[in-house]
Amino acid sequence: MTFLARFGKTCTLGLLLLAAAVNVLAQDDEAAALGLADLTPESAAHPRSWRLFVEGAFEQAYMHFGLADEQLHRATIDLQVDKTLSGDWRVVFADRLDMGDVENLNGAASISDVNTLKEAYVSWAAKTSLLFDAGRINPRLGAATGYNPTDEFRSDAVRSVDSSDPVSLRENRMGSVMLRGQSLWTGGSLTALFSPKLDSHVNTAGYNVDLGATNHEDRWMLIASEQITQSVNPQLLVWREQDNAPQFGLNLTGLLGTAAVAYLECSAGRSPSLAAEAMVLPPDTAFRSRLAGGATYTFENKLSLTAEYEYSGAGADASQWRALQAGPLAAYVQLRVFAFDAQDMVTRRAAFILASWQDAGIRDLDLKAWTKVDLIDRSRMIWLEARYHWRRVEAALQLQYDSGTVLSDFGALPQARIGTALLRYYF
Amino acid sequence: MFDRLMCAFAGATLLLASVAALAAPDAQSILAASDAVRNPDKPFGLTVLLIEYRNGRQVGDNTLQVYSRADPSSGQFRSLVRFVAPPRDADKLMLKNGNDMWFFDPSSKATIRISPQQRLLGQAANGDVVTVNLAKDYHAELAAEEDVQDGDRQMRHCYKLAVSATAPNVTYDHLEMWIAVGSNRPVKARYYSESGRLLKTAYFRRFQTQLGGERPTETIIIDGLDPNWVTVMRYSDYAWREVPEVWLQRDFLPRFKPE
Repeated sequence: MTFLARFGKTCTLGLLLLAAAVNVLAQDDEAAALGLADLTPESAAHPRSWRLFVEGAFEQAYMHFGLADEQLHRATIDLQVDKTLSGDWRVVFADRLDMGDVENLNGAASISDVNTLKEAYVSWAAKTSLLFDAGRINPRLGAATGYNPTDEFRSDAVRSVDSSDPVSLRENRMGSVMLRGQSLWTGGSLTALFSPKLDSHVNTAGYNVDLGATNHEDRWMLIASEQITQSVNPQLLVWREQDNAPQFGLNLTGLLGTAAVAYLECSAGRSPSLAAEAMVLPPDTAFRSRLAGGATYTFENKLSLTAEYEYSGAGADASQWRALQAGPLAAYVQLRVFAFDAQDMVTRRAAFILASWQDAGIRDLDLKAWTKVDLIDRSRMIWLEARYHWRRVEAALQLQYDSGTVLSDFGALPQARIGTALLRYYF
Repeated sequence: MFDRLMCAFAGATLLLASVAALAAPDAQSILAASDAVRNPDKPFGLTVLLIEYRNGRQVGDNTLQVYSRADPSSGQFRSLVRFVAPPRDADKLMLKNGNDMWFFDPSSKATIRISPQQRLLGQAANGDVVTVNLAKDYHAELAAEEDVQDGDRQMRHCYKLAVSATAPNVTYDHLEMWIAVGSNRPVKARYYSESGRLLKTAYFRRFQTQLGGERPTETIIIDGLDPNWVTVMRYSDYAWREVPEVWLQRDFLPRFKPE
């Protein structure tokens, strides 16, 4: 037998042995997996009608403008109850108590407790497809991520700001007292709600339910949705505040392949500019639109990227913004406070980029990073979070950076950098 | 004489072909029969316990409640999944209707559309957790009949099916399935991506009488890339449930309360 023939036979034999070894190893792995399953205990958890967590946080803020740096210690109790009373009746209650103090390095401190009654309402199901609610309800609306122009009930609803993260601002806000009815059919629904005026003045006392913030004027809203195709499910809205002109809205999402979702949220109607609404400029009611549109792509490793463009026709364009910055400081501050309370854009255009990564290289470690860029003045906010979770405990580290020129959208914020460490326990 | 011989030959050929056709099992029917073993034929609910192991150590668990009904037009299951445990995920909901998927968080009251690629909670891909009728979205061909070890380490005589996707945007590009001859019980399956990469191997076992049939109450999933990554899915609390159509849409998610 020639050398080449012997070599060929040896290689063939080697490959066969390798294939057999791989097969044996695979069978061993599968046998080990079956062995684990044999040892798996029987117990499955049972659903509960309540959810309770407590959280402790420490925040270090490095300030702009010669202000003394601040340290904040916060303890939070968050309770949610969703209980079926009997048959067709259901009660929902959600409350959050933030107990915190703010002190600077000179030792001066103030202690304030802020209770946020998020929801307290009863719900009656006349039948499976017809439901009515009454009480304080948080009707979260909007398909977008960083800015929600159709989320009418977001304004004046935030009592305690634990974080600049849009998710946190939505989770920790008050609902509005309202009556709501909803009719559902296969693939669609129609919702009507009325939120009455109950008080005219905001009450910032710690344990006040603050009806003046959420119910300072009569508001009504109609919401209709219908599934057009499996991937397209538009939602149309119309609403009106007291004596203002009606506003119209649209939420639209669509699936692009198996890994991407696109969305569009917009509203339009006659309204004043934000500056006029804040009474720093004369009335200037005109037809204005707002929108937030973008897409989210998810990779196989659970990394999701979202890019969103945001526009508000009620916000200041470049020349208007320069004029407001150059005007009286008191008016500028008044506008900024109003914009934050309204959860609205102070300038006309912005971009929002979000990256979130579940099990980021390490199981149970979630990373999140987003940046919001004001496209008018180029200021930006960057927010980072690393959160690790065990079965009942979560630990997180958050960092926020604000940059921009003085009196820019994010440059004007008193905190230049904020670092927060928090620990949460779920009961 | 010759004509009679030809007629006899033709008749014998036809007879043999008929017998062969009758004897050869229809792969698609076998696949559909195995779907029926796994999935009840009326709206139902069950509890799913998922326990995840890495390198032999338990690293996580989820408990889900699943409410399912078949779409009358497509035959594919539409499911509402409620997360029960761990506590941080309690009462979160996922609605799956093919690739039309929505996620609801009771904390933020947000209902968002998610892509099949997004696995917001837990290790198991959405397609694994909820029920699926493979025969509706996949085409099967009989590859072989062979003996294979089942999840209880017993040898089973099985049909080996080569199953390939026919519907767009399904979870897996193609599968190999071993289905027990006679009982049509699913024994084992391998799931592949479009590139041919083995994504996972699944064993079906602990067959029990549930909702009118002998059904696998445990699925063991072994990751294709990392065989030390194992998920045990155990099903319990089977019950016929009324699952109204109005439940299976985005706008109902904030109102969902099964009890």
